[in-house]
Amino acid sequence: MKIALTGNPNSGKTTLFNAITGRTERVGNWAGVTIEKKEGEVKKSISKGNASIIAVDLPGAYSMSPYTSEEHITSDFVKNENPDVIINIVDATNLSRSLFFSTQLLELGIPVVIALNKSDLNKKKETRINANVLSKRLGCPVVETVSIAGSNNGLEKLIFTVIESKGKTQQIPFEGLAINKTNRSAIEASDKKRYEFVKSIVLEIEQRKVSSNRQTKQDVVDRIVAHKWFGIPIFALVMWTVFSISQTYVGPIFANILAGWIDGLYRYVEGLLGQGVSPVLKTILLDGIIGGVGAVVGFLPLIMVLFFLLALLEDCGYMARVAVVMDRFFKRVGLSGKSIIPMVIGTGCSVPGIMATRMIKNDRQRRTTAMLTPFMPCGAKLPVIALFAGVFFNDAAWVGTTMYFLGIALIILGALIVVRISGEQNSRSFFIMELPEYKYPSIKRATIEMLSRAKAYILKASTIILLSNVVVQLMQTFNWQFQVVAEGAQNTSILASIASPFAILLMPLGFGVWQLAAAAITGFIAKENVVGTIAVVYSIKNFIDTDALALVGGGADVASAMGLTSVAALAYLVFNLFTPPCFAAIGAMNTEMENKKWLLGGISFQLGTGYVVAFIVYQVGTLLTTGVFGNGFLPGLIAVISIISYVVYLMRKGNQKSLAKKAVLEV
Amino acid sequence: MDNIVVIIIILAIITGAIAKVVIEKRNGNKCIGCPHGKSSDIECNCDDF
Repeated sequence: MKIALTGNPNSGKTTLFNAITGRTERVGNWAGVTIEKKEGEVKKSISKGNASIIAVDLPGAYSMSPYTSEEHITSDFVKNENPDVIINIVDATNLSRSLFFSTQLLELGIPVVIALNKSDLNKKKETRINANVLSKRLGCPVVETVSIAGSNNGLEKLIFTVIESKGKTQQIPFEGLAINKTNRSAIEASDKKRYEFVKSIVLEIEQRKVSSNRQTKQDVVDRIVAHKWFGIPIFALVMWTVFSISQTYVGPIFANILAGWIDGLYRYVEGLLGQGVSPVLKTILLDGIIGGVGAVVGFLPLIMVLFFLLALLEDCGYMARVAVVMDRFFKRVGLSGKSIIPMVIGTGCSVPGIMATRMIKNDRQRRTTAMLTPFMPCGAKLPVIALFAGVFFNDAAWVGTTMYFLGIALIILGALIVVRISGEQNSRSFFIMELPEYKYPSIKRATIEMLSRAKAYILKASTIILLSNVVVQLMQTFNWQFQVVAEGAQNTSILASIASPFAILLMPLGFGVWQLAAAAITGFIAKENVVGTIAVVYSIKNFIDTDALALVGGGADVASAMGLTSVAALAYLVFNLFTPPCFAAIGAMNTEMENKKWLLGGISFQLGTGYVVAFIVYQVGTLLTTGVFGNGFLPGLIAVISIISYVVYLMRKGNQKSLAKKAVLEV
Repeated sequence: MDNIVVIIIILAIITGAIAKVVIEKRNGNKCIGCPHGKSSDIECNCDDF
């Protein structure tokens, strides 16, 4: 038996899907989190041992006449794949909008069961809905549900009703007019009639105590939090607090314990190996596998605390307000109003963030958003931030916060440049976003999100990072004649010979050594590799001092091993964060851009941005701290001027194209 | 003998990691170790517009 979960965006479909299947698909309290269908089997505890029920979670849709790619997926599925029953998740707090889509689903002839979701919110507001009358008016069963609740959530009753409904004939309470779909006024007239029908039902079944147009406390808070000027400093303060807790106070306590365990494992294995084992094998096992992977895993507690806090912020409704604050800036620079959603998702991982750009219809806006989303520091970049903040800046929370805001600034600047290069007119787009109500965040959901991140992090560390570290260790151990390089002569190794030419290019940025060049290169496989490779090439077991109960208490030792000034370290961090993302994210960019020219342009743009910003950070920082420019200033300046000149040339060319288009239109 | 045991352990670890990568790829996970990485396997129907 196959059931489809449909409903308006942000009605709680994925939360309900997760609750009935036991899956942990990403949920969010704003529209557009689900962009493709997902399948899962309904838990036997809910289906009461009935035959296998496959639930299909579909992207949110406002109408069966698809306007966006997600609505197309939903419309296609329910029309063509013949689900046995449709569960229509209706937001009980917003009936009139939800029931428009419901009436269209009822016309398909497939049995529909309405899940009147978020019923708990209605009880709080003392809004009453007569589900029995609603059921009679629509001609289908209506079950009240609270999919976020652990018990008494109505889900068992819902699935029972779904099983009962299979094979039954569906009544059609309202039949739309047979109209020409290309005739706009006919469509509007038909929609108007449907709305009138829905309105008549809502008037009959809904009793509101609180008028929806009355100003509430939430509105007052929104006026401050989402204010066009106060919104940004409030967001900066919130992010600084999040980084302080995760990277300065709470995270390091747990990181220290974990680092102690990893250190213990290292010493235990080292003791087991004894003197008879080849030094090469010892190095691979101890430094490459345990040390390299351990260095990355050591940051796990910091990542977990950070994502736990971000999940709390999202769940309480704050992140949706941040989206509103940012949307104001993004729209002005030629991005879509919807561009904010991929970027917020991109703070977790760039891949789903880039994929979320597919909901943007305009090609240029979609490609630009896909190109710029990786500038938001993703989860994989957090260990790199934590490493450099710890080693060079005494765990200062401003490092992480600054990287987020620098990322946002580069997105805005990048969008301005791309819109001029493309030569397209800056068409204003509108994106209406429904703000979720503020609520106490769910600790359970934040914990699930945190554990899901932790699981993914460990999986990556034990596969991709482990394999990369072994390859890096082998390349560092042997020279091109496959002889073991002598102690202290690692610059004759395969790794050094490959990375050295790149290191020359990086000299004007303050980190022109082959070890850091190699770490930056392996970062393209996965950004955590930067940490793993640094651990391998400098033979650092972990970056966390077990004695001082502080993250990277031995920071001075690590910093001296790397031979970097604080300014050069900041430049290296910036370079790793704002050059092209990992290969998986580049693959996602390729899929979403659907154009090789844009893909190459995007990668070049990211590379150029990372190089220029790192150059500015290093040279200006060195000038301010020492009074003179850093090494390689002149060749670096020539490279940076060349990059900027080429971008300016492309912008002027785009501008001419734009003027020519305008002239043709005027003629 | 010690060397052989260590080689076997290293190979087992590497084989395990490679096997996991292959299994994840076969399961449609294009971004191993990314949260919700399996989301990246379904192609967009954008051409239909």
